[in-house]
Amino acid sequence: MTAVPMTDTAAPARTEAQEEKRLGLFLTLPAQLLVLFIAVFPLLMQLYISLTDWSPLEGIPWWQAYELWNDFYNYIDLAEDPRWWGALWRTALVMAVCVPAEFLLGLGLAILFVDNFRGRRVFYSILLMPMMVVPAVAGYMFFMLFQSGGPLNDILSTLSGQNVAIAWLSSPDLAMFAVMVADIWQWTPLMFLILLAGLVGVPEDQLKAATLLGANWWQRFTTIMLPRMKTIIIIALAIRAIENFKIFDTLYIMTGGGPGVATETISVYIYKLTTNDLTWGYVAAIALVILISLSVVLGIAIARMGRSRATQP
Amino acid sequence: MTSIRLDHLTKKFGSFAALKTMDMEIRDGEFMALLGPSGCGKSTTMNIIAGMEGPSTGRVLFGDRDMSGVPMPKRGVGFVFQNYAIFTHMNVRQNLAYGLKVRGTPQPEINRRVTTIAEFLQLTQFLDQPSAKLSVNILQRLAIGRSAIVEPAIFLLDEPLSNVDAAFRAVMRTELKHLQRQFKQTMVYVTHDQLEAMTMADRIAVMDHGVLQQVGTPLEVYNNPANVFVARFIGSPGMNLVPATLVERDGQLRADLGAAGISAPLAPELAAAARTAGAGEVWYGFRPEELSVASGDAGLAAGVTFVERIGSRTVVHFDIAGEPAKGVFENDVALQEGSAARLAPGPDAVRLFDRQSGNAIGGSTHGLH
Amino acid sequence: MRRSPVFEIFRYAAIALALAITLIPILWMASMAFKPVSEWQATGDQLTWWPRNPTLDNFRYIFGESTNELISSLERTATKPILASLLSSVFGTLIAMVAGSAAAYGLSRFKAGGNLPLALIQLRLFPPMAVMIPVMIMWAFLQLNDTWWGLALIYGIVTLPFAFWLMKTFFDEMPREIEEAALVEGCSRFRVFLKVTLPMMAAPLASSALFVFILNWSDYLIALLLTTREWVTIPVYMASLSSSMTGQLYGAKAALGLIAAVPPIVAGIVIQKHLVRGLTFGALKQ
Repeated sequence: MTAVPMTDTAAPARTEAQEEKRLGLFLTLPAQLLVLFIAVFPLLMQLYISLTDWSPLEGIPWWQAYELWNDFYNYIDLAEDPRWWGALWRTALVMAVCVPAEFLLGLGLAILFVDNFRGRRVFYSILLMPMMVVPAVAGYMFFMLFQSGGPLNDILSTLSGQNVAIAWLSSPDLAMFAVMVADIWQWTPLMFLILLAGLVGVPEDQLKAATLLGANWWQRFTTIMLPRMKTIIIIALAIRAIENFKIFDTLYIMTGGGPGVATETISVYIYKLTTNDLTWGYVAAIALVILISLSVVLGIAIARMGRSRATQP
Repeated sequence: MTSIRLDHLTKKFGSFAALKTMDMEIRDGEFMALLGPSGCGKSTTMNIIAGMEGPSTGRVLFGDRDMSGVPMPKRGVGFVFQNYAIFTHMNVRQNLAYGLKVRGTPQPEINRRVTTIAEFLQLTQFLDQPSAKLSVNILQRLAIGRSAIVEPAIFLLDEPLSNVDAAFRAVMRTELKHLQRQFKQTMVYVTHDQLEAMTMADRIAVMDHGVLQQVGTPLEVYNNPANVFVARFIGSPGMNLVPATLVERDGQLRADLGAAGISAPLAPELAAAARTAGAGEVWYGFRPEELSVASGDAGLAAGVTFVERIGSRTVVHFDIAGEPAKGVFENDVALQEGSAARLAPGPDAVRLFDRQSGNAIGGSTHGLH
Repeated sequence: MRRSPVFEIFRYAAIALALAITLIPILWMASMAFKPVSEWQATGDQLTWWPRNPTLDNFRYIFGESTNELISSLERTATKPILASLLSSVFGTLIAMVAGSAAAYGLSRFKAGGNLPLALIQLRLFPPMAVMIPVMIMWAFLQLNDTWWGLALIYGIVTLPFAFWLMKTFFDEMPREIEEAALVEGCSRFRVFLKVTLPMMAAPLASSALFVFILNWSDYLIALLLTTREWVTIPVYMASLSSSMTGQLYGAKAALGLIAAVPPIVAGIVIQKHLVRGLTFGALKQ
């Protein structure tokens, strides 16, 4: 054998793996930077400010907020803040009503759309439209609809034969109802979309086999369709619950959180504190409480998912 | 246990005619194979029997019950799908029990029947395992058990062995046949594999392009194909068909195969049938297994194009007057590629088919029922 | 499966009801947009469903031509807000798509940036309100306040997760053989990405971009907090259309709302078959 230096043949292979690694780093760098930018600094800032009584009204820049140090009083105030608990309660109420309603209505629509029938594609496109309407514009649409001299009362008048002039948005309970209606209108199509994809994914052969074995529609639905859709249902509910928790645009434009605080949810309350009261130290405390709570929930959810995946066949 | 009758069934999908007038009877307790190439309408026929599709015209009778309008769950048929359609999110036991459960059968009875069937199909050790990852062998038995447990009068199987690798296929063929004998079900079995049909069925219904070509026992279909299609389709390799003209020589009817020469005299019955039918232009048919090498100047002239040694036998490809043909011989046959040969089909092996219609001339009665 | 005729009737009835509920709010707004002042101010008995005298007045009004003495002319027309929405959405989409697609490719092919999937889901999990104060402070510090490019930057960050997840699933589905073939011929990895992968991914890239665009265009809260005067976007501007002087300008708002609503709806219909994938972060495909 001639004495060929080993380094010649070894070098190209090493460079290719290196090149890949370098390229990978280069490609993911922008995203990493942006995430860092939005995650790290804000978090630290919030942590700092939440322990102070800072407000932009004080006239000092935020990094000098230590002058207004008040330890954990923001957190204690939060725990005793009735408006906060009210907002929390109202958010929970909205979630408890809207998410299941959207799920059931979406499921109903999905069941209707599983088979092929005339006009299916067109109807499908139309029914998906609400979720593509800009939420702020939807807020305005429903604002108009729920006016006491508006079209909804007009329809009700026609249907009931009496003159209906309900002041929806001026009444605490009815305003809440109106807001929920708007949310359900806008996001049922999302559940419809996802659940239909899930239903269609149920193998038709298995459904036929079940029918031949004597199962009626309800039995097929409960023993085959639903079990096979478990994952999708969980994903749909999780996604919708998360977005619903953050509800703001439509609601704020419809009622501004009112009348009074009747429709004030968490996001609205925080918004008002930020822009009206300008107690930014306090807001930071609230923000951190939310961030920590949600992280804990996310952690538990992921742990559970990991466990169930390990035990799956 | 019931017989099935297909009465003037047709089925159209839009302008595509999947079935053109099927009339057939499947006897009680019989194993009937529906055999044919893809698209011949055999699966459509099955689906109509099961109630998954309705016929465009005609009706299906179980015994003397007209099944028109009877929905799937009420038909009492067992169906084994090509991919078995096992409920993969349930375990084996739940799969087996399903048919009984949806009928509201009391739990103790369900347990009893599941245990019995599992034992019978040798599934007992798998009962509590999830069904998703089991081997095809087990899944097939599970599919059968799941359908059998509700004791249907009729069993329909749609190409259940097409997903199985060749090695297991032979084993499963015997198992299925054994099971059918045991259950004594009326079984309709769809396949495109003629070997499967030949080995398993009591009778075979050969179909092509939505038309029933022939119904008969495997032997009938093999020995007396009703037309050119059946002749070519059945047998591996299929029957050789060479275009010929019938001629009279010395008072005997023979076939003139052009460049290959004149054949030996036709057997008396065949000749009689040919004369009665006034046949002229025909297909001269003989099975590859019935060929022997003729000595001297006897037999037909052929050129050897290819010799295939497949282990236990040798398949020789010929050119007979421009038509490709095959012969199956013992391994010691003295034929070389590129050489000329003289071939003689066995005396009773020759079949004639009208060149125009493709139908067989003469032969035993092979009606469509 | 064959269904009974009774079910078919029920199906069509239910769908008709759903269609009505879906379309009434949208059609009402469309109707209001074309109504003259007298009609959109009407209440109760005088309410009409369709404009009796359809007019483009509302549209003209929001672009600066005042045609009715009842309403004083606007200080600011709708032109700049529309431009603001357009610029911030388009460039926000650009940022999200470039950073997201690159990172998705890096993860899909080179397993780089393994922390990104989780981090990006977390980004979407938390209420924007909870992080907006630091963002406001940072943006003010960087003088990105009340600018369309400042808005574009935050939009890009906030929709980055969607761009990432969408493109990651698309890259994962793309067979590697074609790239491998180009590599064998001597192209560098980067050139392969540029000249082979991206052209093949033109359609998924377009669909994902449209999806992200819809999200950016639909934003309200962020624009509300980060823009004050110069570069307010359409939704923020809409709120300002009513004041104690002019009252609620239903007609004008409806016209503007219509203009704002059309692009996402059109885009949504175009990318309809990818919606499931985008909305479930790639967990589901259609």
